[in-house]
Amino acid sequence: MTDSRHYSRIPLSTRLNGMGIALEVEAVSKRYGGTVALDGVDLKVKEGQTVAVLGPNGAGKTTMLSIALGLLAPGAGTARVFGLPPADALRSGAVGVLLQDAGLLEDVPVGELVSAVAGMYPAPMPVERVLRAAGVAEFAGRRVGRLSGGQQQRVRFALALAGDPRLLVLDEPTVGLDVDSRRALWQEVRARTAEGRTVVFATHYLTEADDYADRVVLLAGGKIVADGPVEAVKALVGGTEVRFVTGGADVSAFEALPGVRQVHIEGRTVVLRTGDSDATLRALFAKFDDVRDVRTVSPDLESAFVSLTGGQER
Amino acid sequence: MRSYLRLELRRAFRNPAGLILLTGFPVALYLLWTKVLNVVPQNQQGDFAAFSMVSMATYGSLGGALFIGGAIALERSKGWARQLAVTPLPASGYVVAKLVSGVAGVLPSIVVVLAAGALLGGVRLPLWTWPALVALIWVGVVPFAALGIAFGYTLKGQAANLAMMGVYFVLSVLGGLWLPVQVMPEPMRVLAEYSPAYQAGSLGWRALDGQWPTGTAVGVLAAWTLLFAALAVWRYRRAL
Repeated sequence: MTDSRHYSRIPLSTRLNGMGIALEVEAVSKRYGGTVALDGVDLKVKEGQTVAVLGPNGAGKTTMLSIALGLLAPGAGTARVFGLPPADALRSGAVGVLLQDAGLLEDVPVGELVSAVAGMYPAPMPVERVLRAAGVAEFAGRRVGRLSGGQQQRVRFALALAGDPRLLVLDEPTVGLDVDSRRALWQEVRARTAEGRTVVFATHYLTEADDYADRVVLLAGGKIVADGPVEAVKALVGGTEVRFVTGGADVSAFEALPGVRQVHIEGRTVVLRTGDSDATLRALFAKFDDVRDVRTVSPDLESAFVSLTGGQER
Repeated sequence: MRSYLRLELRRAFRNPAGLILLTGFPVALYLLWTKVLNVVPQNQQGDFAAFSMVSMATYGSLGGALFIGGAIALERSKGWARQLAVTPLPASGYVVAKLVSGVAGVLPSIVVVLAAGALLGGVRLPLWTWPALVALIWVGVVPFAALGIAFGYTLKGQAANLAMMGVYFVLSVLGGLWLPVQVMPEPMRVLAEYSPAYQAGSLGWRALDGQWPTGTAVGVLAAWTLLFAALAVWRYRRAL
């Protein structure tokens, strides 16, 4: 990319102001009838952060984002965006939003729609640039109603980007997108966060949170069950896995090794979960000479997710 | 909010189905009243051709204005309102864009019905009267555009169109656009004269005789406009 991005260069004062709070919900609860959708959720997103709100379907991701943006009244608690009531922040043009259930005008060509929305913001991106960034340039002249679902999702992304907002909120942005479109979307998100913009996205794709967020908020059953840097959330599941094949030894012998917290036997393979893989390996080789095929595996977000949410799918 | 207004204006003039429905139908009715049926005695046919031309132009254009609500109801059920709610566009900006584009979009139907009167109905008027008629009939649709918007935010999808069809019919008949109020019984006629469609029509009917709109007409239309506009803004806010 040779694009100099001069249009979206943000003032130094804004970049230095990285400690500001972009989005904040405090003690927010919400019920739908007898179902608790959110139960006392607190979240502060600092300017410049890329936050993934991760959780199974029904965890409360959309409800939390809707309340944070003032689109839904909370049962209890408060929401603020850039220190303002959310509606005021939206009116000021500081926020771009991609909603799951937002509709588009089907009779309008893509380019016209994007240009009309861009025109609502005080300092929008040039429309040509938005169309390219969202990957909708090649069908900019076609009416929205003639597009596929994935193409319409890209149009939604274009509308979220159009105002060149300081905060981008994306609710399941890659639903319905093919691999290339996903990559292009995240590339654009990264380009923005590199400039100090704030991005909050909801997803149930663990890899997206792992690859693109610097902070993960794990929601399950309407509560935040983990919140922190991706590495810290992974570490919550506890250490590294050491796997190897052995001729035979009993579990208690492995449990006695330094650092080991847990031992699993899977057929002839032994799986040790350890907080200190170096010490465990050193002792393992010293004490057992028939150990073969040793591998160490860092836990992925998936295992963190399963262990922290109890694997629940509601 | 000009960018959204521009978009709505383009949409209003790019809707062939709507334009045909709201010009074709009044023209067909006009030809029915003046060419097929014997509504008035032979010696009044000339006057009636002009009177009916104004009635039908008003009828078609106020329909166009009302049915802005149908588009709004559809957009709402498809979630466009939700998308707009996350943009900087304020409630007032959206309502204004809908109002202005809806009112602009009826201009073709006024012109076509007047052209039918001149070319097919044999209506002859002083030259200045024609642009005056266009302008007066056009001004008269403003309250109906606001009423349409209010309906669009009260009902969703097809229900809004059905309800407006009924309102359209009642207001048009009560306002003497189909048959003159002179043929109505006294109590109904009094009611009719305070109805928005009658006063909208009266702007054009009086212009046929070279007369200015009455103060009553201006006052009644302004009152209906304010009421319907307030209703529209209220419904919009409630619908968010």
